Amino acid sequence: MTDIVPAESLSAARPIGSSQVRRRTLLRSAGGLAALGALAPALSACGGASDDANAIRFESMKSETAPYFEQLINDFNASQKTVTASHDSTSNLVAGFVRGTPPDLDCDNFDVQTALFITRGVLNDLGDLPEAGRVRDDIKELAAQYGSYRGQTSVLPYSITAAGVIYNADLFAKYNVKVPTTWSEVIKACETFKANNITPIYATYKDTWTVQQGLFDYVAGGLVDSAKFFTALKAEGADVSSSSSTSFTKTFTPAVEKMQKLRQYLNPDAASRSYDDGNAAFAAGKVAMYFQGPWAFTGIDTLSPKFDVRTFPLPVTEDPADTLVRVNLDLACWIPRSSQKAAAAKTLLSFLFQDSVINKYNQDNLAFSPLKNAPEVTDNRLAGLRSYVAAGKFYQGAGGYIPLTIPARSYIQGFFISGNGPELLNKLDTDWARLARRTET
Amino acid sequence: MATLSTTTVENSATRAPHQGPPPSENKRRGVPRAYYVMLIPVLVIFTGFIIVPALLGFGYSFTDYVGYGSFHVIGLLNYATIFSDPNILQSYAFTLVFALVTTILVNLVAMAIALGLASRIRLKIALRGIFFIPMVISGLVIAYVFNYLFSTSLPAIATAVGFAPLETSVLTTQAGGFVAIVLVSIWQAAPGAIIIYLAGLLAIPEDVYEAGALDGATSWKRFRHLTLPLVAGYLVINTILGFKGFLNSYEIVVALTSGGPGTSTMTVAMTIFTGFTSGDYAYQMANAFIFFLVAVFFSLAQLRLIRTRGVSL
Repeated sequence: MTDIVPAESLSAARPIGSSQVRRRTLLRSAGGLAALGALAPALSACGGASDDANAIRFESMKSETAPYFEQLINDFNASQKTVTASHDSTSNLVAGFVRGTPPDLDCDNFDVQTALFITRGVLNDLGDLPEAGRVRDDIKELAAQYGSYRGQTSVLPYSITAAGVIYNADLFAKYNVKVPTTWSEVIKACETFKANNITPIYATYKDTWTVQQGLFDYVAGGLVDSAKFFTALKAEGADVSSSSSTSFTKTFTPAVEKMQKLRQYLNPDAASRSYDDGNAAFAAGKVAMYFQGPWAFTGIDTLSPKFDVRTFPLPVTEDPADTLVRVNLDLACWIPRSSQKAAAAKTLLSFLFQDSVINKYNQDNLAFSPLKNAPEVTDNRLAGLRSYVAAGKFYQGAGGYIPLTIPARSYIQGFFISGNGPELLNKLDTDWARLARRTET
Repeated sequence: MATLSTTTVENSATRAPHQGPPPSENKRRGVPRAYYVMLIPVLVIFTGFIIVPALLGFGYSFTDYVGYGSFHVIGLLNYATIFSDPNILQSYAFTLVFALVTTILVNLVAMAIALGLASRIRLKIALRGIFFIPMVISGLVIAYVFNYLFSTSLPAIATAVGFAPLETSVLTTQAGGFVAIVLVSIWQAAPGAIIIYLAGLLAIPEDVYEAGALDGATSWKRFRHLTLPLVAGYLVINTILGFKGFLNSYEIVVALTSGGPGTSTMTVAMTIFTGFTSGDYAYQMANAFIFFLVAVFFSLAQLRLIRTRGVSL
């Protein structure tokens, strides 16, 4: 590495004293500029407060319904003259909170990330809004199951999706398999299909969320009261271990054993198949059952399946009355505590919660409305799940309760590849204990 | 750096001593202000975008902050937990082994190819262009394409040919995933190393080889005793930069295996990044600080090793 600067100019260096002064001035000015640079974000945040109090930002990141919401926002803006809403479907929510610029009203999937917003207290209390009184109590209860902040209502559910086993009704008819209502009937159905060289259940391990959402949640949900279990687990905290009174090992072992039974009925190349491969394989008609939710219908429909597509909730006991369906709050609305435009945001919220708007949204998007007295969902594909949702026979998937710090989805994927159930549960126990030790719940 | 100061000392010693040049001459004989004008903006940006966030992250690593909302100061609890967290320890082990293996292999491959490209073969210029292509494609794109090749194309070919071991995707086991990541990393990193080696090889004067030919040196002896010592400096550069680069590997692993199966192929950078999306920012900042210390340690160790062997950069 040769010198870039020719030696001559450096040989003309001034005596030590004056060049030191030069260096000090340089460092001082650089430090000063850097300090100014660090101040700049704080200054710009101050400047933002003078925005128009009636121009709000509505955010919904669900890509499938972005055009739908775009239209709704336009309708809202046209229906009144005070508030102007803009539709945003791309800004990152966590980054918005970190920067202090979250959307004024958000309507997104309610998951453990939203639960973190709730427990850290950055969301407004919506409990005394009239809309809160119109939502079914058992559905509002679902939102509280992931955690709450000082007993307030932090989110209002907007859309519930029910996920069950999507099945090929034509194949079922062809092999004289009736829709199973008990676990042994499920196994018998799988055996029949396997004997006839039809893949009984199609799995896609490459996308870990599909394994957690379907294979894990459906089996665990029917056998474990997840809400009660996780409350007890949080109370146990750092004492959780395979031998403590509440632990994954103690409660989930029967569920994991049933999952192990299902493993032999899955497609052998599951580990290298992705969600899109799964939709394609099911639509091609050589798969009997597919553990996915209504969001998969969009993917399946684009491939024009030539058979009748239906769903049923997975029974995991011998008593049909035990069967429950997995639901999640596909959309839930919240307003950040720091928003200066909460009043304007609430008018948009009222607009969206009108019967005509919310019920129509859910009908159009294969979901269920959370309102009391909501009309029945008419789509045939959801016929098998309707009554369960209406009767409140549902649960939120167990995998969704686990904080994202614990890579539960990866562990579950690893379990389905290796078949080692005790290892999965033990890992979950030790990780939970370790997390509890360093966080205040 | 050593050469600069010796030149200065020698020259000022030969000049007649005096109290100091008059103020007006300072500007003429000092380091031209142009250098400061070029340096200060970059320094400001570097400080503002790298130093300040790093210090902030370090500060937050003593809390349970998630980036927003309320938080508590929890002292060294994060650091203590890291040393008993099997996922993090496993990611360090994986990353270190991966970086070591890949650095060695990249340098072997690159040296071999560079030797070929520096010799008198046909289509030299075209081949140099072709070997350079992997460097211009984004790592993420490369990895997604290879993901498809490994998980779909390779099993299809293996099934057609009847070669059983490759019929299931190699990405579904830890060992297979490791090999795949190493291969793709080599594929992407080799061009950079080849360029550097090529520059070194082409800088070796012909008369060295002529002298060697006169002494009857075989090609292996030529390589071992003539070529290698003369490109030792470039070898050092490639090793240090390569190792540091592979310690940080993220995109290729994310797109090839996503850390799977399970969490067996997660690298440290991947684990740290999950801190942003899983509400575990403070914990992973502690991890990031420890990783920083590890990287500094390895770089210093390498530099030391090189200096003791008397190789000049």
